[in-house]
Amino acid sequence: MKKSLLLALSLVCSSGLYAMTWTATAAETPADSGAKATPAKSFTVTDARDRVVTITDASRIASIGGAVTEILYAMGLGDRIIAVDQTSTFPMDAKSKPQVGYTRTLSPEGVLSVGPSLILATDGSGPRTTIDVLEQASIPVVMIPEGHDAEGVLRKIELIAAAVGEPEKGKALADAVRADFETLSRALEPVKDRPRAVFVMSASGGAAVVGGSGTSADAMFQLAKATNAMADIKGYKPAQDEAAMISEPEAVVVMRDGGQKLDADTIFALPTFLGTPAARDRKLLTYPGSYLLGFGPRTPFAVRDLAVALHPGLEIPELPARPWHTEPVQ
Amino acid sequence: MYEGKDVRVVMNGRTLLNGVDMEIRSGQITVLVGPNGAGKSTLLKALSGEHKLAAGRVSLDGTAISELSARELACRRAVLPQSVEVAFSFTVAEVISVGLMGSGARESGRVARLLHSVELPGFAGRRYDSLSGGERQRVQLARVLAQLECGHADKASYLFLDEPTASLDLAHQFVVLRLARAHADKGGGVLAVLHDLNLAAMVADRIVVLANGNIIADGTVDEVICDEVIERAFGVSVRVGVPPAGPYVLPQNIRHSAGTAQA
Amino acid sequence: MSAEQSSSLPVTEHKDAARPVAAGLVLFGVLAVAAFLGALAIGPFSIAPGRIIAVMWEAWSGVETHTSAMLRERVVVMDVRFPRAVLGVLVGAGTAVAGAIMQGVFRNPLADPGLIGVAPGAGLAAVAWMVIGSSFLVHLPDFFQVMGLPLAAFFGGLVTTLLISRLATRDGRTSVATLLFAGLALGAMAAAGTGVLVFIATEQQTRELLFWTMGSLAGATWIKVAMAAPFVAALLVLSPFLARGLDAMALGEAEAYHVGIPVERLKRIAIVAVAAGVGAAVAAAGVVGFIGLMVPHLARLALGPSHRALLPASAMLGAAVLLAADIFARMVAPPAEVPLGIVTALVGAPFFLWLLLRRRAFVG
Repeated sequence: MKKSLLLALSLVCSSGLYAMTWTATAAETPADSGAKATPAKSFTVTDARDRVVTITDASRIASIGGAVTEILYAMGLGDRIIAVDQTSTFPMDAKSKPQVGYTRTLSPEGVLSVGPSLILATDGSGPRTTIDVLEQASIPVVMIPEGHDAEGVLRKIELIAAAVGEPEKGKALADAVRADFETLSRALEPVKDRPRAVFVMSASGGAAVVGGSGTSADAMFQLAKATNAMADIKGYKPAQDEAAMISEPEAVVVMRDGGQKLDADTIFALPTFLGTPAARDRKLLTYPGSYLLGFGPRTPFAVRDLAVALHPGLEIPELPARPWHTEPVQ
Repeated sequence: MYEGKDVRVVMNGRTLLNGVDMEIRSGQITVLVGPNGAGKSTLLKALSGEHKLAAGRVSLDGTAISELSARELACRRAVLPQSVEVAFSFTVAEVISVGLMGSGARESGRVARLLHSVELPGFAGRRYDSLSGGERQRVQLARVLAQLECGHADKASYLFLDEPTASLDLAHQFVVLRLARAHADKGGGVLAVLHDLNLAAMVADRIVVLANGNIIADGTVDEVICDEVIERAFGVSVRVGVPPAGPYVLPQNIRHSAGTAQA
Repeated sequence: MSAEQSSSLPVTEHKDAARPVAAGLVLFGVLAVAAFLGALAIGPFSIAPGRIIAVMWEAWSGVETHTSAMLRERVVVMDVRFPRAVLGVLVGAGTAVAGAIMQGVFRNPLADPGLIGVAPGAGLAAVAWMVIGSSFLVHLPDFFQVMGLPLAAFFGGLVTTLLISRLATRDGRTSVATLLFAGLALGAMAAAGTGVLVFIATEQQTRELLFWTMGSLAGATWIKVAMAAPFVAALLVLSPFLARGLDAMALGEAEAYHVGIPVERLKRIAIVAVAAGVGAAVAAAGVVGFIGLMVPHLARLALGPSHRALLPASAMLGAAVLLAADIFARMVAPPAEVPLGIVTALVGAPFFLWLLLRRRAFVG
């Protein structure tokens, strides 16, 4: 009962009340937060967990999840972000923000210490105890769904735009991203023979951990009209060497920033890929992790890069230049 | 009286004690002798309660020791092992206070007195692990004597010594045996396993000879320490002489294979 | 006790007789209190120390929070730092006392519950509960929904402790090499079992496990405090009764029997106590290593090995060290935090090697 009272109290608090904050942390004074167009009245959104979240102040955002951060920057709202998580690596400017740790092991006090007025977090962020504490401190937490297709990316953009009170900016971004996805799907329509590809997450100790069905890598292959050679596996799991050989992948896809050197020499020396067409042609495709698997506004570009590499000879038009595709995005 | 009746100990299928009857009387020093492997230590452990009996019964003043609580038994029977390794860096005072049965107050005075009696004055604060073998043995003796102080003065307490003099020089052997004698003189009973037959002859009121898990002789020094008994027990030809102080043992030649000769 | 002992000893007494036990216990108590206050006062969210007391007083006396700033301060103090500090005390004291008891029973200062497989065993049981138990959790009474996890960890610790004492002890003697190797094997088996469970766990469960296996106080809630408290309380209540027996055990099992210690009963109680302390700590914070090794060792260096002082000293020093490590974990890279288990391992693993080298003669 007391909790609901606290909640009600906090709801009537406008952003101006932050001026009364005792703390000496410079980051917590809203005057330098750069908030301009934040509407003073409150509004509600329904988040990925079907919770109705009321937001009064979207000027100081803790952005948890690489795609969330990219979308905010793509809408030109990067200066409202006061903290990011470890997976927010793009654009470069995001890396200069205070970093609250790994998405799934957030520290409640760490997040509170940056003084956010709104937390946008990829669904699955946690642990639950941290989310509970943040909500107890009456900070709205909006869970952004983890979509792994064009619709999913658009849903993220719309929800984030609604949560920060900028539906027009969201619509503009969503329209552009939708147009890019449509351009690609038209260009890829004639594809009949889907090339077989495999995504390698890591290769420590000579065992390749690959992306099976249900993974974001699998979703990227589908968008690029390729077949995931490891679709028999569920999730990210170590590949069985023989199964990998039988699946005859024609290309191997890896991340550039996986924390481990995954070059062609390393990959094709693995017993997993001995004698496969990919090893014969030494066909290794390398992309930044957040670009390839982020499922944010840059995803159409990543799909195009992948498609161009996997379908040689197919005519795929250039996508129109988008400010969020290239650094710097401000 | 501390008594074992028909004590039989079997370990790993081997019979170590084959139905032994043994009495330890108060006011006496009973010395157990015998060749290596005869079962002397086993008998001492069986009597102390440490070893499980395959058959037989050990009793203290008629009560089976298994019916006494661990503490009751500890107040009336203490065991000085051949050597004690202490796991952590205990001081001498801390080792001795293990024997003080948690008496708490006045501990330091008692520790000092006991250390004095084993001729280690001023050792209370020393680290046990820094002591020589002989010093350790005397600290353990002080600990064991401390333990028996918790018993009733009017009930005899029993001191079991397992080769107490093995690591001691001549002077300190006498310290230990003198304390054993003092315990017997106060009405307590002493059971000592000794290797040295001459030392045994010197301190024993009664000598028990054990060989192959059986008692082959039990009696006063004069009854037991004689050529035939020693030869039968040890397989060594000896000549027992009687100098003014008492009998002594002089080995003659080795009859069987080497290795069993002691004394 | 030893303090008064030294004063009344004759002048011939050796100098180091004066082990400052009473002073040492007071010092450790002060350290524990200081660490507790530090854990309340220090954090990435800056609140003036004086304000913290005010916040607590306001919360207890039911003053309403008028501003969201006030509310945040209250949440940070009352829902984040306070339960976390209390949980830190429970985990630190529980682990350290369990370590001291285990070392006393095995007569070996290297017998750390983490190193010899007890904590991994408790961890395996806890993971099993999270992964398998959750499927029938809804059918269980409320009590098990909260207490199931620590109970599972307790029984996991109990089984591993019994196993390790069976494996490493022979005729009342514990071989250090066997103890460490058997512990290594048990730890590996527990890790393999945990791996299997992680493999079959759902993605949501895997996330929770990941958070938990790194060893952290970050998820501290009053529910976790309530979960760990009875076990640690049982351990602390039992420990004084074990002290004299453990002192006697230092001379050897036979010697302990001879001075009137019911050795088998002592060992049974000790094993239950160890499992309670380790199980509660593991259930609440995951596997936080080396506290059970370092803390009793430091307490022994300061106060001597006598368990009458060692056990309470370990409890207080354990709480202090764990809270200090947790403050470090929170403050080293704010606003993110480092897993506590990594902090203790960074300090503890070299410490263990140092101990091992010093005692190489014993280990062989």
